[in-house]
Parts: sequence; structure tokens; C-alpha cells
Amino acid sequence: MIKHILLVAAREYRQIASTRSFWLTLLIIPLALAAGPVLSRFADKAHTETIMLVDQSGGGVGSAIAHRIELDRQRQVMDALSHYVDRHDLRRAAPDAAWTRKGRWYSDADVAAFIASGGQKAAVARIAAVSQGDADAFEAPNQDYRIVETPAAITAAPPGAIDGLLAPWLRPADKSGHKPIDYVVLIPHDFGTSPVVRLWANGVPRASFVSTLQGVLTSQLRTRYLLANGVAGPTAAAAASLAPAIGVTTPPEGSGRERVVIRSILPLISAYILLMSLILSGSWMLQGAIEERNNKLIETVLACITPNELMYGKLVGTVAVGLSMIATWVICGLFAAFATHGAIADLIRPALEPVSTPGSIAAILFFFVAGYLMVSMIFLVIGATSDSMREAQGFLTPVLLVIMLPVTLLVQAVLRDSGGPIVEFLTWFPLYTPFAVLARLGTGIPTWEMLGSAATLLIFILIEVVALGRIFRASLLSGGGRPSLAELARLVRRPG
Amino acid sequence: MEALRLTGVVKRFGDFTAVDDLSFAVAPGEVFGFLGGNGAGKTTSLRMVLDILRPDAGTIMVMGRPPGRSASPDLGFLPEERGLYRSMTAIDTIVYFGRLKGMAAASARREGMALLERFGLAGFARTSVEKLSKGMAQKVQLATAIVNTPKLLLLDEPFSGLDPVNQALLEEVILNAARNGAAVVFSTHVMQHAERLCDRLLFLAHGRKQFEGTQDEARAALPVQLTLTANRSPAALAGVAEAHEAGTGEDGWHDWDVRLEPGGDPGRLLELCTANGFPLRRFEQRRASMHDVFLHIVGGAEARS
Repeated sequence: MIKHILLVAAREYRQIASTRSFWLTLLIIPLALAAGPVLSRFADKAHTETIMLVDQSGGGVGSAIAHRIELDRQRQVMDALSHYVDRHDLRRAAPDAAWTRKGRWYSDADVAAFIASGGQKAAVARIAAVSQGDADAFEAPNQDYRIVETPAAITAAPPGAIDGLLAPWLRPADKSGHKPIDYVVLIPHDFGTSPVVRLWANGVPRASFVSTLQGVLTSQLRTRYLLANGVAGPTAAAAASLAPAIGVTTPPEGSGRERVVIRSILPLISAYILLMSLILSGSWMLQGAIEERNNKLIETVLACITPNELMYGKLVGTVAVGLSMIATWVICGLFAAFATHGAIADLIRPALEPVSTPGSIAAILFFFVAGYLMVSMIFLVIGATSDSMREAQGFLTPVLLVIMLPVTLLVQAVLRDSGGPIVEFLTWFPLYTPFAVLARLGTGIPTWEMLGSAATLLIFILIEVVALGRIFRASLLSGGGRPSLAELARLVRRPG
Repeated sequence: MEALRLTGVVKRFGDFTAVDDLSFAVAPGEVFGFLGGNGAGKTTSLRMVLDILRPDAGTIMVMGRPPGRSASPDLGFLPEERGLYRSMTAIDTIVYFGRLKGMAAASARREGMALLERFGLAGFARTSVEKLSKGMAQKVQLATAIVNTPKLLLLDEPFSGLDPVNQALLEEVILNAARNGAAVVFSTHVMQHAERLCDRLLFLAHGRKQFEGTQDEARAALPVQLTLTANRSPAALAGVAEAHEAGTGEDGWHDWDVRLEPGGDPGRLLELCTANGFPLRRFEQRRASMHDVFLHIVGGAEARS
């Protein structure tokens, strides 16, 4: 019996592996992994927006805006440096420096100290001194904004002429080769007595940019107001820059919401991959089953092996196809992670924690195989009762909807770290058990719940194999189109 | 040991009895024709022999054992509705079915290549089935049936859909298998093939056996038919059941189609004519075709139902 099952499984495997769609599917994820960083690099580069500051009020306001933008930019650099030294375990480069402490909020004072101590250049030099060449070069994140020089004619232009002078900068002629300026900020000469400031934007302005601008201008207005009302200059400046010192407390690194997200990444990916791969390999098996019916092969096959051997062989073949796909994707993912030392590796290391214990690995393997058996059996019966793919769609579409929709809800619920009745229901309802348990491995699922749902799932698969096996056997040699639901129910009740 | 024996086999589908009290046996080296019209129960009987269906009553013995997949190494089967895995190559298809019948991969490949050579398809061994012509694919399917050199070869309507060249090839395969000691059972409703190939026949109608025996025994079941040329009607002669004028000759001589009474002996009629001075210019016994025999035996059963 085992020999026959393995022969059928091997044939199924070879048939599926000989299709172009199998190889395309197999390569899609590695290609996406490879293409992702490249595309994101292009996307990031296109992100820097240009700003022209036209300060007719004397220059102080424009400088304040430029200073604010530079401070925010340096804060980004510090944040990126902190992730870099953490990833490469290089905190020793400057143990006391703020930029080696990942996950904290950098105050303006921190940023100013960073700039004063030499900024990115000095930090990179200190890293290089201790890295001994085993770390790849640090790359600062792309800057959000770049300030362009303002032509003197525009700064000196009267209010009525400024729109005309800015036009070639905001909407340059196609032949000029210049890119349009994204923002032009005009601070009029009467700024202070009047609060009006003009902003030209080449599209809807970013909320963060408007917010930054508003913060600086508010501070400037307050200073001028206080000066106009007799407050001494230093006092006025200090009053305008008064801000609450918010002591930001974040959870220890790798805990809190970040912990939930990071720990859930691989379990959620597992659940998603299980869903996608079994739908794909199930569809291929379904096509094979329909081909056997269409090509009148069944009688020849059944002369050599039993219907059960045929059924188990097909299931084993499909599970093997699915596991091969998953193994390939996992190997590609690990290779990409450890070869690049990039963001993927950064994410994967802490994410591996919940899925790297022997118990977790056993659970993943069990629920993968069980999920495959459970859903493949449904696909197999659909194939055995259909004479064409068109006929199969009648059953397939509702089955796919029933499987896929709750799984989407599950992913969202797990990411919100909410247990709740939906997640509990999906854990214990056998059709969703493999997806729910895999998805919950990151947030933690009690052992008793995992074992209980595994036992329930096993019982369900046994009942499914017996009940749907009857339909499979009865359908093999029957003709005359798709059976009705009543007919299927009768077949389930009556042993073949 | 008999290659196949069915005893009192009954198969019902709901209220419909597809096979009713069927008994027969086939010996090694024998070509056994399983003849019946559409819906006579031929395919159902063969499916029971293959253990694809289980009988409701009676027993079946295949190579001395109850039917089951353990017998598949000794069995070859060509179904009426034929098909192959379209994406598999010819040789891989043959090897696959050979292995399902218990052969080692190497010997299945060796035998498969020999069969493809014999069928003139050696150059297409690595061609996928979907690229073969219909006739080529039928030869590949035949090869899957005989790759294991079966001791019992079951062929369900094997000649349907074959061109004359492939029909001749199949006849050669059947006779060759029988010469090598295999029992060959084939179902058909085309009597010419049965007439050319079968050592023994079984006529089936509505699931019931109507006749089993050799071709001579089958013909003996039919009243003897003669063609006489006489100058008067032979209808009055003793033993003659019917006599019809079939043509007019010269000088009052006529041709007569004569059918004797059941069990009538043509020699006895000739003797009678001589003794009574009944003049004859021609006395010819017509050999009944299997088509006539089948219609005579099965047609009555069909009419009765």
C-alpha cells in the first residue's frame, strides 16, 4: 500500500513540478525579496522635497525654519545610527553618546550635542575605529527636505511681482530641464505685525512640513510680540521657545507593541504562506484530478491500485509540493537575511525567537501538514466530482471565500494583540485552527490550548477523510456532471 | 489452475440488476469472447474481476484468489474509455503503470522500450502523450496493459476507435499473449473480431448468460441452413422447417433457401432426397456467421425483455 501511495505521490509531484506556473510561483517570493530593497531605494530617493525660503522680514525667520529642518534631519540620522550600531553590535564605539541608544526620543539638546560633536562624520569615524571592517558602510536615510538657494531678485521683489518671479521655479518649462520646487515659503517684510505667511506647494503639502513650519513661525511671532510689548530680548526669546520637557518612557527594547509586532512577523508570515501555498498546490492537484476524470484515466489506475491508495497518494504529493515551496521560500528568506545584514536580518533575529524552540518548530510542522491535509482533501473531492475547471469553480469559489476571509480578520486581530472571542473561535474551529495557531505563536498561545486545538483538528481530519473519502470513491467512476448537495450528503452517509 | 472463474455472480445498482447469476471460467492460453450488446453487463463484470466493483452475490476467483490489487502483477487491463496523463512521456507512462503493477523500475523501462519498439514507437519514447497522434496514444495505452506480461489480459471493447492497422496489431497482441499462456478475455459487440480470435464465447443479454461454448457449439444452436437447386419445392421433405425460393434458373430449376428443423441433420436430408428421387443440382450447407448466431441467441432474449 505504502509503495502505491508513494508512486502516486511522486507522479503528482512530478506533474505539478513540470508546470510553468509552479516555477513562477516558486520564484515570485525570492524575486520579490530581491527586488524589494532595490525598489525601496529608488522610492526613497524620489522622496526628498525641495524648499525655497523667501524671507523679506530680515532673514531671521528663514534661518529659524532652516535650523528646525536641519535639527529634524539630524534626529533622523541619529536614529538610523542607533539602529546601525545595534544591528552590528557596535555600541562600544561611543557608549555614552545618545546616538548609540536605540529606541529613545532625541531632544533638541541631544541633537545639538550630536551636531556639536561632529555629527554623522564623527560618529562614522568612531564606528570605523571599532568595527574592524566587519560592518557594511553606514548609509544615512534620505533627507525629507532640501533647502535651495533663494535668488536675490525674488527676496527683493515687491508683493505684486512675486508670483510672476516664482512661476518658472514652481512650473519650469519642459525644455529647461529643471525640476519644480516643491515648496516656496514667503515671509513678508511686515511679518510680526501681521501673522500672514504665504506657502506655494507643488501639490498637497505634507502635514509634517506644515506642522514644522507652523511651530517655527508661532515661536517667531511670540518673540516679536513680546519684544513689541517691552520684554527684554533674551527673555522674549526664552519665553517663545518655552516648551514642556516631555520625559519619554518607551518599553525596554523588544517589548511592548514593538515586541508584539516583531514576534508576530514570522508566525503571521507562516500562516499567510500556509494559506497561499495550499491554495496554489490544492488548485494544481484539483486540475490533476479533473484531468484524470476527463481523460478517462481512472479505470486504468483503479485496476492497479485502490481508491484509497489513489486518494492518499494525491494528498501526500500535494503536501510534498507545498512543503517544497515553503522550504524554498524559507531558504531564500534566510539567505537574503544573513547575506544582506540589512533590514531583513535586523527584523528576523528577534522575530526568530518565538519560532526557534523545538516545541515551536514541531508545532509549525504539525499545523502546516495538518492544514495541508485538511484543505487538500476538500480540493481533491472538488476535483473528483467535477468534469471541468468551470464546474469546479462552482464549489471552489465559496470554499476559498470561507477559508480566506476569517484568516484576514485573524491577522488583524493578532497584530492588535487582541485575544477576544474571534481569535478564540478561529483557534478552535478546525477549518481555521492551523492558521490561528501559527499566527498566535508570536503573541503566545497556552500549551493546553495548542494541544487541545491540535487534537480537535486531528479528529476533524479523520472525520473529513472518512466522509469526503466516500464522496471521492463514489465519484471516481460516476459520470453525468456535478452532483447536487443532497447527493453529496447521501454519499457521505453511505459507505462506498 | 483456471485463470478466472465466476460463480453465480450478481451485481445490482439500486433496483437495476446489471449482472445476474453469471458463471463462467477461462483457462490459461484461451481467448474468451465476452459478447453482448450495449448495457449487457460486460463492463460491470470486468470491473468486478478487477475489484473496482464488489459483487452483491456469488464468487470470483482470479488466478485462484479472490479479486484484489494483490492480483494486479498478473493482470493486464485495457478499458473501453481510454486516456493517459497528457504531460507524461510515452515511456514514463508505461513505466508508471508497470510499477503500479509491482514491476521494478528498470524492468518496466526495459519491457516498455521493447513494446514501443515492437509498436513502431521507439522514436517517440520521450515524447509527451499530448504530442502523440490518437493512434500512437492507443498503442501506448495497450503497452501499459501488457508491460507486465499478464497471465490474465482483460480487454474491454478493445477494437473500438482503432483504425484497421491498429486492429490488426491488437489481434496479433491477443493471439501472441494466448500463445504465451495468458488467458485473454475481451468484450465486444463486433462479431467479426470474436469470430477470428475466440476459442470460446459467452453471450450476455441484460446481465444474464445466454450461451457459453465454442464457436461450433454456438453455430449448432442455430438450425442448419442450406441452399438447394431443385426443380420443385423442398418444403414438403421430412425435417425441413422452411423453404423459400431464392432465384430462378433455366429449364424450371430454382434456388431454394432451406432451414431445417432444430436438430435436423443435413446428411439425413441428402440421403432422403436420393432415396426418394428428389432431383438436385446443388446441395450446399451455409455456415452461419457469428453475427447470425448472436442475433439468434441474444436477439430472442432482447425481444423477451
